[in-house]
Amino acid sequence: MLGPKRLQKELVKIQGPLAPGITLVSAEDLQSWYMDVQVMDNPIYSNEVYRLHFRFSNNYPIEAPEVVFVRDESHPIPIHPHIYSNGIICLDLLDSAGWSPVHNVESVCVSIQSMLTGNTKRERPPGDAEFVRSNRQRPKDINFLYHDTTV
Amino acid sequence: MAHIADQLKAEGNALFKSGDYSGAEAAYTAAIARYAQNPLLFTNRAFARLKLRAWDGVLDDCLHSINLLADNFKAYYYLAEAQLALNHPHEALSSALTAYEQVLRVTPPSANVHPISQLVLKCKKAKWEARERERARGRGQLLAELEDALDMLTQGEVGQVQAALDRGEMGAVEAEERRKEVLEAGRKKLEECRSVFAIADPEHGERREVPDWLVDNISFEVMHDPVMTKTGHSYERSTLIEHLKRSPTDPLTREPLTVNDLRPNLALKQACADFLENNKGWVVDW
Repeated sequence: MLGPKRLQKELVKIQGPLAPGITLVSAEDLQSWYMDVQVMDNPIYSNEVYRLHFRFSNNYPIEAPEVVFVRDESHPIPIHPHIYSNGIICLDLLDSAGWSPVHNVESVCVSIQSMLTGNTKRERPPGDAEFVRSNRQRPKDINFLYHDTTV
Repeated sequence: MAHIADQLKAEGNALFKSGDYSGAEAAYTAAIARYAQNPLLFTNRAFARLKLRAWDGVLDDCLHSINLLADNFKAYYYLAEAQLALNHPHEALSSALTAYEQVLRVTPPSANVHPISQLVLKCKKAKWEARERERARGRGQLLAELEDALDMLTQGEVGQVQAALDRGEMGAVEAEERRKEVLEAGRKKLEECRSVFAIADPEHGERREVPDWLVDNISFEVMHDPVMTKTGHSYERSTLIEHLKRSPTDPLTREPLTVNDLRPNLALKQACADFLENNKGWVVDW
């Protein structure tokens, strides 16, 4: 049961200064946090703020957190070939094979931010509509194919 | 006889699982009456007694079990828990360290490495607290003696003023002024003395921060058994083992990494131990 104790400490850290464009929205308990991400240097994403929802198991950071974008009136889901329109993100470090316990909430936000910064395509992943309609799995259980590692 | 004892043990285990610790204890006791040579019967009963907070019984059972089987991390683990509860932090620490040493030799890595590692830290903290209490008591006594001595000094001077007045060497007004001065000076000395003691108190103005190099990057806690990977980074052994169970890779580079590749980082271990030892019992809760 590493999770609660480690998150307690991350929480103290994350209330201090963070990387530019990353802000803590709320961390009401040690299971579910919201973070906002802004992308500075890419016209595709300028003037928008995206909201990430983190969910932690008791086994965090041995297990990866579940991280998805959430949509509300002021926070759209960013358009990206690896982000489905329901907010599910296909990023190797969030997947159990790619996760490492030395990552933390801030470093995950920074990785997602830089995945957006580097993107040039205004596209959703292939099969987005079908995936969003049919997927009932939790993000971590999905076996994504990282066929396109250039994005 | 032995197989009846095994049946009773299975019964005890089932009762234990259902949360009936007294029932489990009784079943193990019955099993031991049939066959007293199985160390597991004693460790199981110790665990049940631990749940029942029957500390003395835990001690007996653990020592019995260790007598029957020396390589016995569970018995040392429960023993340490009971010794801690009975307020014997020194003994508890030595039992916990033995448990830790033994559990590390178990293959495949046991799920108990982490809790035992945590218990070692808890014992270190208890040991530190006991010493700190002793120190505070000693300090309190010294302060009380100093206060008494200062008070006597002041009373002595007041007596001299009175004597001078009685001998007619000092007028009543002057004597009253002198008396006030002496009392005021005495009060100031007492205050000064108390504030010096307050400053020396470790609870006072401590910077409650742990340097990054003593902190495990996975659990964010102070390490007590740091191990180094090929990249030169150190982690707490028990948390890194948790990670390696899930993914046998270096947490930073994702290169293949197994428990056998880890090397103890002895200098860092000493640094962590010193940090814990030197007046920082709070570190464990930090």
